[in-house]
Amino acid sequence: MSLKADTADVAFTFKGGMLPMTIMELSSADPEQIRQQLQGKLVQSPAFFQHTPVVLGVEKLDAPNLALERICAVCREHKLLPVAVRGGTDPVRQSAWALGLGWFAPVESDRARRLASVAVDTKEASTPADGPGGESQAADQQQHSTPAPDDQQSASTRLYRGTVRSGQQVSAAEGDLIVIGAVNAGAEVLAGGSIHIYGPLRGRALAGIHGNLSAGIYCRELKAELLSVAGNYKRLEDVDLRLLGEPAQVHYSSEQLEIKPLA
Amino acid sequence: MAKVIVVTSGKGGVGKTTSAASIATGLAMRGQKTVVIDFDVGLRNLDLIMGCERRVVYDLVNVIQGEAGLNQAMIRDKRVENLFILPASQTRDKDALTQEGVKDVLGKLRQEFDFIICDSPAGIERGAQLAMHFADEAVVVTNPEVSSVRDSDRILGLLASKTQRAEEGSEPVREHLLITRYNPDRVTSGDMLTLDDIREILAIELLGLIPESEAVLSASNQGVPVIHESASDAGLAYLDTVSRLLGEEVPLRFHQTSKKGFLTRMFGGGGRR
Repeated sequence: MSLKADTADVAFTFKGGMLPMTIMELSSADPEQIRQQLQGKLVQSPAFFQHTPVVLGVEKLDAPNLALERICAVCREHKLLPVAVRGGTDPVRQSAWALGLGWFAPVESDRARRLASVAVDTKEASTPADGPGGESQAADQQQHSTPAPDDQQSASTRLYRGTVRSGQQVSAAEGDLIVIGAVNAGAEVLAGGSIHIYGPLRGRALAGIHGNLSAGIYCRELKAELLSVAGNYKRLEDVDLRLLGEPAQVHYSSEQLEIKPLA
Repeated sequence: MAKVIVVTSGKGGVGKTTSAASIATGLAMRGQKTVVIDFDVGLRNLDLIMGCERRVVYDLVNVIQGEAGLNQAMIRDKRVENLFILPASQTRDKDALTQEGVKDVLGKLRQEFDFIICDSPAGIERGAQLAMHFADEAVVVTNPEVSSVRDSDRILGLLASKTQRAEEGSEPVREHLLITRYNPDRVTSGDMLTLDDIREILAIELLGLIPESEAVLSASNQGVPVIHESASDAGLAYLDTVSRLLGEEVPLRFHQTSKKGFLTRMFGGGGRR
């Protein structure tokens, strides 16, 4: 009885939550440069720019002051919603708050540390005394770091069973996409990595949407409306007729898309 | 257990209403208590094809808005026992339908009927989505034509994502393929997609194949569901379709070129009846 009354009176409850969040790690503070790169990305994968919330990671930037307002404006123009800033100096934190954004302390990721230590090692390698110790340390770090990306990749690989139908979009934002079934005309499959289709590909396939040029597209029967690897695309019209309806693989090689039989 | 079956296609003019009328009639002829509902508010056609347009007083929108009771709005078919028609409104538009209202009406009908056939409007907008929302099964009507197949593919995508079953994550809507206006001669000559092409692209179970037939046009102009024309191959094909819907195994017919005699070829031999 009293419990019910309680829940009725409460307007909200705070809950801890872990949400997937895209971090936009800035390596340039120039809004124009950011704009240009965003425009390129937008063309490649419009689906990822649907008012997607992003956290601006500014750890890599040295600048004590940041044109945060302009950077945010550029993001919003491209349908990205900056919700917070991570890292940066105190003025950066103050301006984030002024703009109504949250602020997170910089994360000392393994990767950042590794890069730093490798940089130190190479510097120190010139001084003979520290040579061997530095080298072994660098090797350790590398061994540590290699399994990590692999784990990540397998975790973000997406398996889809069934027909991807006209008007449907199936994507694996970070990793590979595997479709066991057909991708029909009017359907779209996207992946940050490669796309594997164990069936006919009649729709659009966009691999390497974040610019990964080594991504590929593989299918059992090629009838694709559009093939794209890291924004380099070919339409059905551009595909060699002899390859149509055949098992095929698509890669980026010598500055263009190369479509070969899957033998 | 009552079954709600939506007859849908995406594309217009492929034979949804013709098929809904014949399937509902066929089920009633087999002793199943059946109601067929016209969801095409604003462009009502089902009553014409069922031949009851002069008996429409109240319609689906009246029932949903509480202006009439279900029993007042439902029209009893004159030819077949156990068959009722719930017509659409001609004067309103599809915004007059609400999801709650549709749910309520279907809930009441479920208690009384064995089969509830929802004749969907064309397109993928609100009207079509409401018609399919509460369906247990779907009959996807497709012509042997590229654009029709693509639209059906789109509808199948919606059936898998926008229905109550999809939203609740319960057992998915059972999908059946009904190919209409199939002309084996034109398939052979390459004008039409083959049965196998369509089945390969849509990848769902085939419920029936209705040959292109003059009987369909004349029957709908007379207000008689073509399934009553048991001398026509379209009528027979709908009878087969209904049998399969009831779980019977019936071999496929009318999908191969008929062997015409010399004289028939010379003189055309009239329509396919």
